[in-house]
Amino acid sequence: MSLFLEMKQLFAAMPPLLNLGYVLLVFSILLVVFILKKYQYSLRWLLPFKNTEKSITEDLLKQLYHVASSRRTTDFKMLSGALKIPERKILKIVESMTQNGLIKISGSHITLTETGRNYALSIIRIHRLWEKYLSEKTGFDKSLWHDLAETKEHQLSNEEAEQLYEELGRPRFDPHGDPIPTALGEMISETGTSIAGIPKDTVAKIIHIEDEPRSIYRQIIKEKLHIGAHVKILASENHHVIFESEGHSIQLSTVVASNIQVVPLSSQEVYEEGKVRLSSLIEGEHATILGISTECRGANRRRLLDLGFIKGTLLTLEYMGPNQNPRAYRLRNTLIALRNDQADFILIEKTQYDRTGSL
Amino acid sequence: MKEEDTQDLLDLASELRWEVGENFHDTLVEGIYADAAQIAQKTEIKQGEPNPYSFERKLDQVLTSKKYGFPIMILILSIILWLTIQGANYPSGLLANFFLEFLHPILKTGATHIGLPWWLDGFLIDGVYLALGWVISVMLPPMAIFFPMFTLLEDFGYLPRVAFNLDSLFKKSGAHGKQALTMSMGWGCNAAGVVATRIIDSPRERLIAIITNNFSLCNGRWPTQILIATIFIGALVPDGLSSLLASIAVIGVALLGVGFTFLSSWMLSKTLLKGEVSTFALELPPYRPPNLWTTLYTSLIDRTLIVLWRAMVFAAPAGAVIWLISNIYVGDLSLANITIDWMDGFGLFFGLNGVILLAYVVAIPANEIVIPTILMLTVAHLNLIGAGDGVMFELESTTETAALLRAGGWTLLTGINLMLFSLLHNPCSTTIYTIYQETKSWKWTVFASIMPVVLGFLVTFLVTQIWQVFH
Repeated sequence: MSLFLEMKQLFAAMPPLLNLGYVLLVFSILLVVFILKKYQYSLRWLLPFKNTEKSITEDLLKQLYHVASSRRTTDFKMLSGALKIPERKILKIVESMTQNGLIKISGSHITLTETGRNYALSIIRIHRLWEKYLSEKTGFDKSLWHDLAETKEHQLSNEEAEQLYEELGRPRFDPHGDPIPTALGEMISETGTSIAGIPKDTVAKIIHIEDEPRSIYRQIIKEKLHIGAHVKILASENHHVIFESEGHSIQLSTVVASNIQVVPLSSQEVYEEGKVRLSSLIEGEHATILGISTECRGANRRRLLDLGFIKGTLLTLEYMGPNQNPRAYRLRNTLIALRNDQADFILIEKTQYDRTGSL
Repeated sequence: MKEEDTQDLLDLASELRWEVGENFHDTLVEGIYADAAQIAQKTEIKQGEPNPYSFERKLDQVLTSKKYGFPIMILILSIILWLTIQGANYPSGLLANFFLEFLHPILKTGATHIGLPWWLDGFLIDGVYLALGWVISVMLPPMAIFFPMFTLLEDFGYLPRVAFNLDSLFKKSGAHGKQALTMSMGWGCNAAGVVATRIIDSPRERLIAIITNNFSLCNGRWPTQILIATIFIGALVPDGLSSLLASIAVIGVALLGVGFTFLSSWMLSKTLLKGEVSTFALELPPYRPPNLWTTLYTSLIDRTLIVLWRAMVFAAPAGAVIWLISNIYVGDLSLANITIDWMDGFGLFFGLNGVILLAYVVAIPANEIVIPTILMLTVAHLNLIGAGDGVMFELESTTETAALLRAGGWTLLTGINLMLFSLLHNPCSTTIYTIYQETKSWKWTVFASIMPVVLGFLVTFLVTQIWQVFH
């Protein structure tokens, strides 16, 4: 009681101008929150619990595994640069890792032992399983998956990872197209080739999109490219590649394009020329559904199937909302509204309206 | 089969799984779906063609157009709210007359007749009975008008179009378009609005809709808003314009609530409930004439009576508490007066006062009894003669109420802050209980109850500070 009364007297005694101070205080708190939010990744090193010995060890193992699988070698300086951790600290951890038999040091080169390799694979397994989980069961944007998995990989135990693996229906690939190592440490090696070195007029299928570095990954997903999409190379030059995918022509610089891996189409697959996204349909046009892109997963995919977005169905764009989004489509004599980013997932072929309504 | 062969087979299966790729389950299921659809298409006999220039299509094009879509929507919702508020006045008066003016004295006489001690008589009749009577007479008529009209629009097929129109706004705040429906349902009753979120499939967006539903100004709060706006804001301008300005102020508060719905949805979807809308698909059913009798029956039974029953269950103990705090004395002062004095400093800090805060604490069960409780507490605190200690009442005219409130030290700032706090405070206990029923999570129930109060204190604090800068 007295506390509140005192508070009131305190504030009443202040000149009004000081009260403006409170307003400023609130705004400066908001500003700080905003800055923290914006630079949360660069400020991560400030947090004491992020860089525990366990996660540095695991990050080191992962890095060494990737270095080994691309047949390169590494030393302290490069590791320190890649993990953004001071060399001094790395030295200390490497020492204890050698004692535990995870790594071998010969000269300035560091290589993984068999135990170290298995440990690294189990971390990669958890990372990729978690990304798979995020893509299937949550609504997180795909640009966030990698960072969330980076934290989670140090937290999940192998038993929990096993449980997750069962729950997800024993997946073999993560949403970026990378193989998930099995519990025994088996994994197929990647077989795709970069889209940058493919001759003109070839048709291929995207099997892998590298999610690091982030700026390049953002550029790729902005073009709505995804695993499983068919591409046709229109021009391949020194500095850039131009190709067509789902009715859109896309130009990427060679640096960006080399992060996309493709394979030739298998014998059962054909490149469909007129295949476009449903979002490109304009009012009054008719189309036949060719399928739902593999990018659309989990509950979202099942919902679209339940509503009747099935291969071979005829549909038409009936009208658009006040902001052109969502739009109402008529199929099987029902009106269904979809947001444009959902309509991007549905692949169609524009058709003339067939009066009989059959295929 | 030999053990070895089994192992070989399993190994082969495991190896092949690397080759069949990620999506073989989906491909298989979709193949079956597509085959089934083709068979159905071949055997189905269609009668006639859907006429593309039908009435329905024209209506859709008007109702969802860029030009008319939003004005029509606002017009229809204002008509419903106006009909509810105006139409409820008369039956509310009748019920109040019956319960409070007619039955209450009879019960009192009866109690004296059978010789009930004064405290039991006060506790049961002035406390519990009066709160119940009040809640029924203020709550029942608006709900009995609002819900059937709302259900009629739903049956006709207009509400899905509202969701369709508003979806792009909700998309920006990371929420689901169907939240438009639960939001407008909240204007009738937040508890009903929370139940209505069942139409949203994905748990994340549903939780956002549940938490933000409290920002829809419900039936129980409209009378408070109108009364305070008339007394404090209407009085700023000449008589002729005062009711217009008061209405604008009330609508402003309601729209502010819509603004807070979007803002808090956006903040939730950026922080605690991070993510994008996982599934959005909205079926726009064909327009059809609503079935009047079924609608009346279902909306009365399913929505109105259930909500009313829950409100009564919670209001009865509230009435008892109100009576008790006014009649239990510690020394010279009643518990109510002690609490009011204690909270006054805190309240004034936020441009409110102790009476308002205490009223909001004891009136958690039902927003309807906030004004009667405030009046009763003000009278008790000023040592004036009202209807008696712990007896809620309402004054005949707005002028008398205004005079009483001003005597209690109310200013324009108090009025404005009360209107804001009435929009931004914890949901009533019926709604809190419903939130728990729907989410089955104490964590989210507590969050949904606390978050609006914190926001309310923040907003009233800012308003008070800005006010003091200019005065």
